[in-house]
Amino acid sequence: MDIQEVLQLTSPNRFIPELEATDKEGVLAEMADALVADSPLRNKETILEMLKSREALGSTAVGPGVAFPHGRTLATQDLIIIVARSSRGVAFDSTDGGPTHLFFMLIAPPQDTGNQYIKSLAALTDKMQDDAVRDAALQAADYDSFCTVMTEA
Amino acid sequence: MNRQLVLLVSIQNLELQLRDAQDKDKAKELASMGFPLDEDKIKQDIEGLLAQVEPRHKGYYKRLKAKYDNPVVPVWDGHCTGCFANVPTSFSSVLHENKVMNCESCGRVLFEP
Repeated sequence: MDIQEVLQLTSPNRFIPELEATDKEGVLAEMADALVADSPLRNKETILEMLKSREALGSTAVGPGVAFPHGRTLATQDLIIIVARSSRGVAFDSTDGGPTHLFFMLIAPPQDTGNQYIKSLAALTDKMQDDAVRDAALQAADYDSFCTVMTEA
Repeated sequence: MNRQLVLLVSIQNLELQLRDAQDKDKAKELASMGFPLDEDKIKQDIEGLLAQVEPRHKGYYKRLKAKYDNPVVPVWDGHCTGCFANVPTSFSSVLHENKVMNCESCGRVLFEP
């Protein structure tokens, strides 16, 4: 699965250019709001519980300045990806201890054909290893520019 | 949503994580990306949530779990996604009354996704 296919699972409404949240719980809640606003899902509470349970197993902030909150839930039939940014950065229990600026939330169904969920996660974590792409993704003016940055490099 | 229902859905979601943790290929791939899944920790977390479930719901959940892989299921388009039976239109109002509802056909616990 290449990054273009992954980005097809996002949309302008699933892109938060600047988060208002200043802590981990707030980031998850704000991204869950975007999820509920742009998907058939209506129940934010169970999504948040799922994400918190996943974070309790180990922080998903594994990249330098990047986090990938993710998990499977009964509540969705399709893989959904929400992207968010915080220029000031948020303490997200990252492995390097630094603030997290870029967030990719992956909400996956119980079963997915072709292992789309793990392949998407792999494509995103791989892409975010590149310092130049990461910096450009943070600076991109809007959703379209963000997608261009992610696919060009 | 009813707190008991949130707990049951959360337990079921953790069961999905456990399934990934027990799948050697998926677990290995996730670990290589920096997301190791500790099977024992997930089991502990499931037990921790189960301990918060009221005895009557816990007993019912365990009986369902012995019968189905998915004892808690969402309702999509007016159907139980476990057995695909129609769910009464009164479903939404029952949930809003803060109750736990079961499918009349298969008995699975239902929730609004």
